[in-house]
Amino acid sequence: MKKFVLAVLAVLGAGVVMAQIPSVKVENSRGKSVKTSTLVDGETPMILSFWAVSCSNCILELNAISEKYPDWLEEADFRVVAVSVDDAKNSAKARALAEGNGWGDFTLLYDKNQDFQRAMNAPVLPHVFVVDKTGKIVYSHTAYQAGGEDELFNVIKSLK
Amino acid sequence: MKQYTKTVLALLTTLLVCYSVLYGQTEKGYVTGSLESNSIGYVNDSKTFARVPEGGFGSNNYLKVDYYQGNLSAGLQMEAYQPALVGFPSNLEGTKLSNYYIAWNDEDFAFTAGTFYDQFGSGLLFRSYEDRALGNNSAMLGVRAAWHYKDIFEVKALWGTPRMPFATKVAYADDDTAIGGHPVYNDWAPTQVRGADASLSLSNLLGMESVNLALEGSVLNRHQAVGWEAEEEGVKASTTGYSGRLNFESNGFMARAEWVDAGQKHYEYRTAESNYLVKNGNAQLVDLGYSGGGLGVNLSVRRLEWMNSYIDGRGVVLDESAITNNNLNYVPALCAQYSYSLTNIHPYVPMPYYINGDFVNSGEIGGQLDVYYNFRRGTALGGKRGMKVNFNFSTYYNLAEEGGFAPGKMLWMNVNVGMEKYFTRKFKLKLLYAMQQRNTTYGVGNGTAVANVFVADMLYKYTLKLSTRLELQYLLSYEASNGYDWMAALFEVNLAPKWSVFVSDTFNHGMEKVHYYNVGASYTASRTRVAIGYGRNREGLICSGGVCRMMPAYTGGNLTITTSF
Repeated sequence: MKKFVLAVLAVLGAGVVMAQIPSVKVENSRGKSVKTSTLVDGETPMILSFWAVSCSNCILELNAISEKYPDWLEEADFRVVAVSVDDAKNSAKARALAEGNGWGDFTLLYDKNQDFQRAMNAPVLPHVFVVDKTGKIVYSHTAYQAGGEDELFNVIKSLK
Repeated sequence: MKQYTKTVLALLTTLLVCYSVLYGQTEKGYVTGSLESNSIGYVNDSKTFARVPEGGFGSNNYLKVDYYQGNLSAGLQMEAYQPALVGFPSNLEGTKLSNYYIAWNDEDFAFTAGTFYDQFGSGLLFRSYEDRALGNNSAMLGVRAAWHYKDIFEVKALWGTPRMPFATKVAYADDDTAIGGHPVYNDWAPTQVRGADASLSLSNLLGMESVNLALEGSVLNRHQAVGWEAEEEGVKASTTGYSGRLNFESNGFMARAEWVDAGQKHYEYRTAESNYLVKNGNAQLVDLGYSGGGLGVNLSVRRLEWMNSYIDGRGVVLDESAITNNNLNYVPALCAQYSYSLTNIHPYVPMPYYINGDFVNSGEIGGQLDVYYNFRRGTALGGKRGMKVNFNFSTYYNLAEEGGFAPGKMLWMNVNVGMEKYFTRKFKLKLLYAMQQRNTTYGVGNGTAVANVFVADMLYKYTLKLSTRLELQYLLSYEASNGYDWMAALFEVNLAPKWSVFVSDTFNHGMEKVHYYNVGASYTASRTRVAIGYGRNREGLICSGGVCRMMPAYTGGNLTITTSF
């Protein structure tokens, strides 16, 4: 345990440079393999949300964002990227669930081998990031309570 | 193994330092990582015969650190068990460096040395993955390389040794022989795995815009020592499996098909003449889906036969759990995804084969249908704020005869109907009805038990940040094997985005008459979450993706800390 605690302290003490979006392969909604680095377009920031069919709070959060998204777009231009980390058990279901929840405005990605989730170090769901237009992670949050989505939008607005 | 680990680590570090010195000036690297800590203090509880470990305390801790610099990355994972939580595999103990890798990723080429996770297709032939809730980690230690030509052709190859997620610890005698029937592997299995996976995009090759069509295939070879006794019965040390896949997508319609010949499998089955059943594993999977206009539909049909792929060549029988296995592949339950407690009392466990005494069945066949629909706001049923509905039906049968497709006895059936709607700006209601019918003898006999579960989940928002959630559940059953009727309630107060407090109770008033109460609170600041709780937990199966573990009853206080950076 001592070794473990020392390792934790060493990492935390090392000083952390602001993380970026790593480049990992995921599937898009058409089943094609795409690199996550292509998400960064140099023009608009994004809300990047990791979700799974088994995570009811994730679905609650994405639904809350989906309901407010048209109004928010009037104030700031940004994208919402919803990354399903469902494996073979639920990945086909995830696609149907996203459509049936009206997430058509989102960029839907499928991280079936959890490569993107691991690279982003988001082991606990829901896990959401705000990424600026250059690909830098400027904000992140785990867990969700009703109303928590407003904070994400405040961060997006502050990026202007 | 320890010496080997150190050598690999030293090599990785040297490489990384060299790279940093050579190229470090041009690109700035960054560190990212995560920390997860789960601790429970256990107390005695005469009502549930709760398990209290020696010392009354358990703690599982995981630290993962990754370093990225341009195309290069390296990372490690440390695990510390002080000791492992009750119900977790007993080989998880002490502090260890479980994962370590160095990787290169450029536009066309990828290379990893060290530990990695990967899967071929849906994982029926091969999957290595981590699931901390189950204590499962089947990471591979070895090398992996991938290359792709434009967006037309992609190939990856790997060679490695799988980690044993659920090893059985056995006491040693003075002469170093194990006492007890099973071999002991604490970390890496004495199994060599070599595999390759390729994908050819016909649509990109032919320049088709509106269609996505791909042909894919895998091959997997494994080698492990087998005893002379088994060899005499035809069990091979080296076995090879194949899979072929077809992926199609056009205008919201999606079709996937996968065919697997998993190669030779052997299962312990003692008769007067022989000790093993030597079989050939095979599986077929078809997914058909449509999504568009707020409608999402998915139909999956799957047949499994002798599809377990034990890492050490056979099932590891843990104390209290005969269905937790060390698998090189992934065979999940394809049925409704339940997130309420009373719907998870008797989860469906897939049957890639079933042997119980004299009873032998080679596998299962079945499928599920999912429908999700969004009634938009402004429509007749949608009303002012829209309404979401979902439906799931699934059923599985064992195989009437080996090698055939005809269904035998019913193993499982479920019907699930759910809806979700904001009735006012402040009030949201979710309703769920779930019918579950399961075979009580895993297909040996015809007897089934039925449970009807009703759930109402109500969210009320007082202000923009303050909300409460009330969850009421009732399980109606006429069968003693379900414990007759159950009820459960949960009340949660949330102050977004930081605070959450809950209290819950599950009560089997039909039979057991024990209150399984829980209280807890959590605080989240950015990516750090701290949760504390106290309660009584039922003995039961916890399942994740078809792998299940029996969790003994326990009572106590818990502390969970998660953070990432």
